[in-house]
Amino acid sequence: MTTLKKHEIEVALATEARAVSSGQLKEDNPLDTSENFRTFCEACRRGDLKVCQEMIQAGVNINSRDSHDYTPLILASLCGHLELVQLLLENGALCERDTFQGERCLYNALNDRIRNLLLSYDYAKSTNPLQPLAAHITSLLTRPTPKTSDITIQAYDQTFHIHKFLLAARSPYFAKKLAAAPAISTWKLPQNVPADSLGVALQYLYLSEVSIRKVTLGLSNEEEMAVLNGIDKIGRQLEMDRLFEDITEVSDRRLLRQKRTDELDRGRHQLENWFRDNVMKNKVIVDTHKVDNVQWDRNNSIFADVLLRADDDEDDYASDEADTSPGPSESSTPPLRATLGPLNGIPVGPRQSRSPLRQRQPRKSTIYPAHRAMLLRSEYFLTMFSSTFREAQDTPYLQVIKLDCSPKVLEAILTFLYTERSDFGLDVAIDVLFAADQLFIEKLKQRAALIISTLGNGSTSAVESENPRGEIDAEEAVDIYEIVRAGWDTRVQRLEEFGARYLAYRLERYIDEPEFAELVRESARRVKARQETDTVELVDDIRYYLSDRFRLRFEDTGFDEMMDETTQIDGDALADADKGVDAYVPDVEAQVAAGAIRTLDGEIAGDEFAQDAINYQILLGKIDRLLENLDLDA
Amino acid sequence: MIAGRGRQRIRPPRRGLHGDEIDFESTWDIIQAAFREIHTKNASRLSYEELYRHAYRIVLKKKGEDLYKKVKEFEKQWLSGEVRSSIQLLLSPNLLADAQSVGGTTANERRVAGEKFLKGLKQAWGDHQVCMSMLADVLMYMDRVYCQDHRVPSIYTTAMVLFRDEILHSRTSAKDSRPLLDLLSHVILEQIQMERDGDVIDKHLIKSCVHMLDGLHADDLESENQRLYNVSFEQDYLNTSRVFYRGEAESMLRESDAGEYCRRARKRIHEEEDRCRATLLESTTPKIQKVVEEELIQNRIKELVEMESGVRFMIDNDRLDELNLIYDLNARVDTKKSEVTRAIQKRIVELGTEVNNDAIAASQAAPPPAPAADGGDKPKGQAQEKSLNLQTAAAIKWVEDVLVLKDKFDKVWRDSFQSDNLLQTAMTRSFADFINSATFPRSSEYISLFIDENMKKGIKGKTETEIDIMLEKAIILLRYVQDKDLFERYYKKHLCRRLLMNKSISNEVEKQMISKMKMELGNNFTMKLEAMFKDMTVSEELTSGFKKHVEGLGDRDPHRIELAINVLTSMTWPMDTIGGPGDNDEDRRPKCNFPPAVEKIKRGFEKYYSEKHSGRQLTWLPNMGTADVKAVFPRVLQKDGSFKERRHELNVSTYAMVILLLFNELPAGQHITFEEIQAQTNIPHSDLVRNLQSLAVAPKTRILVKEPMSKEIRPTDMFFFNEGFRAGFIRIKVGVVSSGNKVESDRERRETEKKNDDSRSHVVEAAIVRIMKQRKELGHQHLVSETISQLNGKFKPEVSLIKKRIEKLIEREYLERVEGGEISSYRYLA
Repeated sequence: MTTLKKHEIEVALATEARAVSSGQLKEDNPLDTSENFRTFCEACRRGDLKVCQEMIQAGVNINSRDSHDYTPLILASLCGHLELVQLLLENGALCERDTFQGERCLYNALNDRIRNLLLSYDYAKSTNPLQPLAAHITSLLTRPTPKTSDITIQAYDQTFHIHKFLLAARSPYFAKKLAAAPAISTWKLPQNVPADSLGVALQYLYLSEVSIRKVTLGLSNEEEMAVLNGIDKIGRQLEMDRLFEDITEVSDRRLLRQKRTDELDRGRHQLENWFRDNVMKNKVIVDTHKVDNVQWDRNNSIFADVLLRADDDEDDYASDEADTSPGPSESSTPPLRATLGPLNGIPVGPRQSRSPLRQRQPRKSTIYPAHRAMLLRSEYFLTMFSSTFREAQDTPYLQVIKLDCSPKVLEAILTFLYTERSDFGLDVAIDVLFAADQLFIEKLKQRAALIISTLGNGSTSAVESENPRGEIDAEEAVDIYEIVRAGWDTRVQRLEEFGARYLAYRLERYIDEPEFAELVRESARRVKARQETDTVELVDDIRYYLSDRFRLRFEDTGFDEMMDETTQIDGDALADADKGVDAYVPDVEAQVAAGAIRTLDGEIAGDEFAQDAINYQILLGKIDRLLENLDLDA
Repeated sequence: MIAGRGRQRIRPPRRGLHGDEIDFESTWDIIQAAFREIHTKNASRLSYEELYRHAYRIVLKKKGEDLYKKVKEFEKQWLSGEVRSSIQLLLSPNLLADAQSVGGTTANERRVAGEKFLKGLKQAWGDHQVCMSMLADVLMYMDRVYCQDHRVPSIYTTAMVLFRDEILHSRTSAKDSRPLLDLLSHVILEQIQMERDGDVIDKHLIKSCVHMLDGLHADDLESENQRLYNVSFEQDYLNTSRVFYRGEAESMLRESDAGEYCRRARKRIHEEEDRCRATLLESTTPKIQKVVEEELIQNRIKELVEMESGVRFMIDNDRLDELNLIYDLNARVDTKKSEVTRAIQKRIVELGTEVNNDAIAASQAAPPPAPAADGGDKPKGQAQEKSLNLQTAAAIKWVEDVLVLKDKFDKVWRDSFQSDNLLQTAMTRSFADFINSATFPRSSEYISLFIDENMKKGIKGKTETEIDIMLEKAIILLRYVQDKDLFERYYKKHLCRRLLMNKSISNEVEKQMISKMKMELGNNFTMKLEAMFKDMTVSEELTSGFKKHVEGLGDRDPHRIELAINVLTSMTWPMDTIGGPGDNDEDRRPKCNFPPAVEKIKRGFEKYYSEKHSGRQLTWLPNMGTADVKAVFPRVLQKDGSFKERRHELNVSTYAMVILLLFNELPAGQHITFEEIQAQTNIPHSDLVRNLQSLAVAPKTRILVKEPMSKEIRPTDMFFFNEGFRAGFIRIKVGVVSSGNKVESDRERRETEKKNDDSRSHVVEAAIVRIMKQRKELGHQHLVSETISQLNGKFKPEVSLIKKRIEKLIEREYLERVEGGEISSYRYLA
């Protein structure tokens, strides 16, 4: 730690203020007075994971501050919501040491767990969340296998193998040029532009961090000037106007980081636009049995080199099984025959449908054009394209690779691969989870799990402290058994924890269900297979969260008065919510709504405190009995 | 897409996955068929996506274990069935035949058969690897999920283990129960042996098979040190190589000479290195090197060095390359290169001792038979003179021989031994050994004589560099000498004579030598020598000063004698050795009656000197010094008939001058007897004899005539002025018999040594006192060792000498014994 004199600090602050006001430097924590942000902050205070996740997906700046100079992270840390702090950090909230806001997070932390969590996220080491995407794209420049490049630029002694789609996305000049002649396979470097300049420009285009110093190292003054001039020229020609500006060396660390963040954002934005305009727009919906008719030429206008196919869910066509899910919306759009290239119109014979009942409407499949270069982000595709199997062979028409998921899921996957965005909803989250697991896209898997665990708490506020008695709304947003099993199958710890906690907070509702017993049995079986411990993991976790839930009651002594006050409000609120409820809700609830304080087994308790204590014991007892019944030793 | 509120539901995941029971058997059939296709190289027609999906579903349905087992089973069958049979085909009888079987196959046939086998195996291995990696790609989900969860090895690893078990550990044939692995090792070893014998083999092929062995492990955990290569092959390789090289060493020793052996050994070493790089694995290099070095070098180096054509031979015949080879080989196994060092040392000492013996022999050589006629003294004297000259010559020869030896070995050291430090120390020690050896006690004297000779005659006409080189050589030799104080003594003596007789050619060179010695041996040594020089310069000044003084005194006296004076500081100059032989303890101040003229000038100088330096006492040494005497001989009939007076200048010793001047007053025809001369001059007897001999007996300088004309001088001999003296030159030098520096006779040497020992005692005592003064109290052992180390630069004192000196010091109450305590220690008494 260095000690600065007062006037030195003042000078530094003044410089910073000037830089900010002149637009050079962005404030780390700008003031935000928008409605969304206010909602966001309020949710942070309450620890409402769902709302926060929604706000983040809505695009709120996670590092702004409100009119009281609080940032969301400070609020979450102050109010002691560990999971929320984790969510914020994972989404890029800053907690940098030696900054005003950063330090406030730390010393305001309510407990040690939060504090340690904050400390473990050392910003200095953390990277931009877009860095993985950028790194992958940069690697495409130098990766020889599998071959995904489709255009070469020859420059004196160096040859660059690059990708048309990236050129089109990042450089308007190339977009136009390639639109006019999509089939070109080489491009010539304009005269008197040194090869090094082109190298720099390409690196920049491929989202790499370019240091002008490294490039001009060891060059004489003349050569250096030539290279810089060349870069300027190329930048202007390719209409990458910020090229020259952005590669200039900057001494201020913050400024440098900001520049990089800006550029990555911009790059992603360009890529996203291009993706939507070219990949998404050109998806084709055909009848499943006519899939083989789809033939795309290699020289297509969006430079796609592979087609991905996703068939509509069978459930949508099969007779109803359990749920009243909304009809398949995807296949209701009119089929667009927007194929490019020669189309072979001879239909193939009818395909075998999986569903037992034949429907009037033929089953549909959606075909998306894609680029192997971006698909390589999935290890599955990486292995596939590096192998010698059929899919890796060179064919005159683009190969169609089927994915075992619905089109909506495939879209979510593609969006993530191309743009690092994961804004899908709860309805496809589990499917995305499984798909990401199968395709070995680790990051996407984690995000799907995140979405499930944050949004999955249903429409009512999921804040624990407000729902200690496990009262639930009428409609369940999630099938918790599915979620827990999904967590097991895809080995995502977060989902297991989420599931256990969910169950713990609503245990009275589930403890008697036969499906619950089945779940416990499965958990026990899993453990045996792994030969780890003798306990049933699920039950252990539930017990833990149960104690957490009731501990909240025991710890804060001042809570009693508050509870006396809010009992009435609670009761009212519950009464309102219960209005549209069906036989799910046990009688106890009705009684409570009527104002009497009863325990779970119907006895009347003196007050909430006693009620909770007794309820806790009751629940624990039920768990033990269940285990006995199942012959499990835990 | 934002998840709306209200009626959003999570749907149960994945059609077909939940609820649908997957049909394991039919799915497995599909997968198995695909695997077969892969193994038969038809992979490009298979859809990766489809196979992957099937495997994925199976694992998701918790049937991962079954799948794993089935795959393993499948591979096992494939390997033991298809692959094994294809390899069996390669096992021709040629291959399996034992190398020594009678009527068996030729080497070439076996080589061809071996190559075929290796090729087949390599192919099988390569195929297996490729296929398995493709299988692993397809089964990626199973590997990542099932294998990790259940902690079983990945399918690829399992397949490698299967290959090892099914192929390499399988029996070679029904009759032959060796595992294939052994056969493989055997074939490879055979091929290598063929290469060693000079054949050309396919190295790539072997290397591929070696890679295979390196990639497989003997255990199931793939531990580092369990690689099949190390466990199974390498050991055999090292063992067979060892046997081979042992045999080769034997035969080479028998057949070829040392140089050839070394060459071939080196060749083999390089060959093995190459082999490890090109055919085997680099990691074997150090191990095989060790084997080769052990067998070819370490176990044989002694024999090699001592061979007839060994080190000795190489040295004598200047085989520098071969010496280098042997050195190199020795260095590989022994950083101290002890064998070579020992041999070299032995040789040096041998050759050195030869030189020593030559010198001793030469110095004792019987003098050539004296010419007849004059019997008695003269021949004996001459013989003695000749033998002494011979000895001097032997001395000089010795020095030169040693220098030659040193040069030779220096060259060897530089060129063959790469200026190795250890060897240099060893060589120095050997040189020191024979130079200081007990059987050859004269080295110091000889070296001093060598220098002396050079100063007097040797450097005439040589360039500066040559002179420098010569001086350097002398210093080099000096370094080896242990008893440096003995050398000092000799050198002083010789230098004194040189200076006084003005025999050195160049004072500059003398001074150069002194400075070199100063650098080498320290100040103490050269202080006295420098003082001698100083005295000489001072004397010159005195002489010129006195001359001026005399001139200023008054008119020139035609009979004035010119005086050139040398004033010697008494302690600096070795007084005792200046005197001629025979007058040591007595006659320290030789007396002499000078003629009046001489006396006059003598006194004049004494006065002059005492004015200059009061309080100093001068003692005249008439036994040194020379005089130039002008002699006028009466007319003699010349050839051309005229009479001419002859004038000669005679350069004689002081004594001779005194003697001659006696004849000045003698009327012609008169004589003086020996006794009279003795009485008048008071010259010591032996000096007188010698001088008279040179004046009257020596053929060329018979200024006097002796009666009777015999070599010996008897008291009754009569001496006349030789009027008929003839000589060719005007200036004649009358030398005095045996006044030059020469080798001391044995007697002289013993005396010198005795003197040396005496002074050594003093030095030792001084050292002891110095040490004790510093330490106050010291134990006996410590004192002795300290003393030795302090005197290291001068000489090596014997322990008995030190002991005696300590006793003496105790007597004189410089030290006292400390009572009590087990070890005897001493205390310093102030």
